[in-house]
Amino acid sequence: MTKQEQVKAIFIEEAGEIIEKLDIDIIRFEENSSDFSLLNEIFRGVHTIKGNANAFGFIRLGEFVHHFEDVLDYYRSTQESIEEHNLELFVGSVDVIKEVMNCELDAIPTLPQSYDGCLEKIKNLISVKKNKASSAQEPQESTAGLKDLALEFGLSCSEQQQNSIQRAIKDAQAKQSEGLSVYKVDLTLDTDCYKRGFDYLLFLNMLAQKALLLESFFNMEGIVEIDSFKSGENYIGKVSIVVLTPLSKSEADEFFEFLFDYEYEINLIEPPVLEVIKPSVETAKAVTQNIVSNSMSSKSTIRIDTFKLDELFDSVGELVIAQNFIAQNDKIRSIEDESINRTIETLSKITKRIQDRVMSLRMVAIKDTFDKMKRVVRDTSKKTLKEVNLIVQGEDTEIDKTMIDSLSDPLIHIIRNAIDHGLEADADERIKAGKSTEGSVTLKAFHKSGNIVISVSDDGRGINKERVLAKAIERGVISGDENLSDSQIFALIMQPGFSTAQSISDLSGRGVGLDVVKTSIEKLRGKIEIDSKEGEGTTLSMVLPLTLAIIDGMLVRTAGEIYIIPTLSVVESFRPEKEIVHVFKEKGEFVSLRGQYIPVMRLSDVFNLNAKRIEPWEGILVCVETEGGRIAILVDELVGRQQVVIKTLGKTLAMLKEISGGAILGNGDIALILNVDELRPLVEASHV
Amino acid sequence: MEFNGDILTIDMSISMEEVAEFEEFVRPRIDYIETIEVEEEGALRSSALMALLVSLKRTKPELKIPFLEKGVLVSQKYGTIHWICHD
Repeated sequence: MTKQEQVKAIFIEEAGEIIEKLDIDIIRFEENSSDFSLLNEIFRGVHTIKGNANAFGFIRLGEFVHHFEDVLDYYRSTQESIEEHNLELFVGSVDVIKEVMNCELDAIPTLPQSYDGCLEKIKNLISVKKNKASSAQEPQESTAGLKDLALEFGLSCSEQQQNSIQRAIKDAQAKQSEGLSVYKVDLTLDTDCYKRGFDYLLFLNMLAQKALLLESFFNMEGIVEIDSFKSGENYIGKVSIVVLTPLSKSEADEFFEFLFDYEYEINLIEPPVLEVIKPSVETAKAVTQNIVSNSMSSKSTIRIDTFKLDELFDSVGELVIAQNFIAQNDKIRSIEDESINRTIETLSKITKRIQDRVMSLRMVAIKDTFDKMKRVVRDTSKKTLKEVNLIVQGEDTEIDKTMIDSLSDPLIHIIRNAIDHGLEADADERIKAGKSTEGSVTLKAFHKSGNIVISVSDDGRGINKERVLAKAIERGVISGDENLSDSQIFALIMQPGFSTAQSISDLSGRGVGLDVVKTSIEKLRGKIEIDSKEGEGTTLSMVLPLTLAIIDGMLVRTAGEIYIIPTLSVVESFRPEKEIVHVFKEKGEFVSLRGQYIPVMRLSDVFNLNAKRIEPWEGILVCVETEGGRIAILVDELVGRQQVVIKTLGKTLAMLKEISGGAILGNGDIALILNVDELRPLVEASHV
Repeated sequence: MEFNGDILTIDMSISMEEVAEFEEFVRPRIDYIETIEVEEEGALRSSALMALLVSLKRTKPELKIPFLEKGVLVSQKYGTIHWICHD
């Protein structure tokens, strides 16, 4: 790659990021068009694209952003309120920038349809505005300048401090994760506090020892001049403290138990719940209820090739294996030397810490993906003419970077589906159902049992089980004789070709969507759970592993070999009674569990292992959930549960569909990770 | 505490008693002091020092106290401390 090509590649990458940010910012600006700092941000992004586009010969892109930049510049310098139809034009312009960029990258000679129309509107707008500005009087311009100064310097001290406290709270919330709380503590110590042995610093020091983030704001307004000052008395009227800590409220209270009640106040700051989009059908305009502040905490970052991160992760994986080998080696363990044992223990701790830190390098907050969904909700809301209130929760939840990229499309589809088909057709239907006219869609991310759950809930009609069953029978997906649980019925809507939508729209309901979503999530080693209550709404949850590089697995032994079953698939494990094991002629072995016949699968059959054939009641059955339903894997014994670093297999072994990878165990042995979804066909084949 | 010409240098980690001594020292001399330098080695031990510095600044606004003008102190012991409105 030549230097010029390298620079171009960097431009393309950066432009992609800028455009992605523009897409988010323009929607936020549409929600709050008086936020001129955000408009400045948008302007800067467009300005950067303009310069680089022209430098690399992307003339059509350069031409468009040049005029768009003019319009943005006009509004940011005059701070004139932006008319609603022009806001719409801004949003459309960002769409055009995205499309033209793609045309430039793929060297497509034709421009997007909206290009000329949008450019024309922008040119007209700037022409109108410039004419208006030239006829305006000069004093008005200087007033605008003064307004800037007033905005910049007009805040009172207490307002400045309040703003700083709010900024600190947001910073703390941005770093908040499960098990951590953000508190705002207000201390108003009496003037005699020093004599009582208290000082604000004493409490800061105690909190600092239990805090991940601690910021305090000393209010110095009440301090007197030196003539009246006595250093034995406290003149600092109030200190506000923002703390991010694992402490519970009662534990935090204990720090201040020796103070008078009126000298302190502790408030738990709830994690941010953002109602982002509240469109009105009449105006089809998205209105923000709570707006995320545009102020971004300054962070020092460097750009690293993910390939290098993967290499680093692989190396750490090797380190973990080597460390485990040392820790579990019988010869080393038999050495009765305290210093050696202590060193091994220290090595183990350091290795774990390195592993955790390297893992965290791959983790990014899901916020950006959630931000993109605001646009999806806005557009879908307008298209369907449904009022939608989007609630976003847990956007700071972190997830493996490699998974983030694959999540957008499934999320977009699920959200569109929730609005298009989940919510009632119109406001009248909602009113009849005793609901508010506007529908609600909640996008939520959280940790659960070592996994990440991303859920989309709507408060719409819910799933009509009878209709789903009828459709499934009509399409031949099920025979109708099955005794299906609610979750199994709901899962039917994710079967290929299944759609209960009465009308097919261009948004969703084409019957190809949810099964594609399901496949995408399964590729990420996740699963989808659906919960619904008719008349109340539906929640579709994507349960994903924290990372693609490590798997939480159940280690089982069969025929002397260790295999790993992904814990996410395991429903239960048990030693069956002889009475519940049945053999059906030409169908094979089944275990009867709570009225359901589950096929039993022997790993020794799948992998042609030369092993003594045991009866199911002599071994352990591990019941797993697969694409085709539940199966019970017969193993000799359960070895344990362990997080293992996944190793890809060579070309030859990669052809074995029943195996999804390998892992090196602590003792140096290699274990194969089972791909349970590919095991079921073998059961059927082996028993036919 | 050092008084060199018109610059007074004090240590940030002075105790409550030392703050009182500093107050006694500086009160009659405030007119002659142009700058108060705060040595930031060690940790702050009493918030009374901050209050005293603010009081001095309020009494004589032209007094230079670079430590105070920073408006922020980052410390492992206390986290990040901010203050404003000292003049």
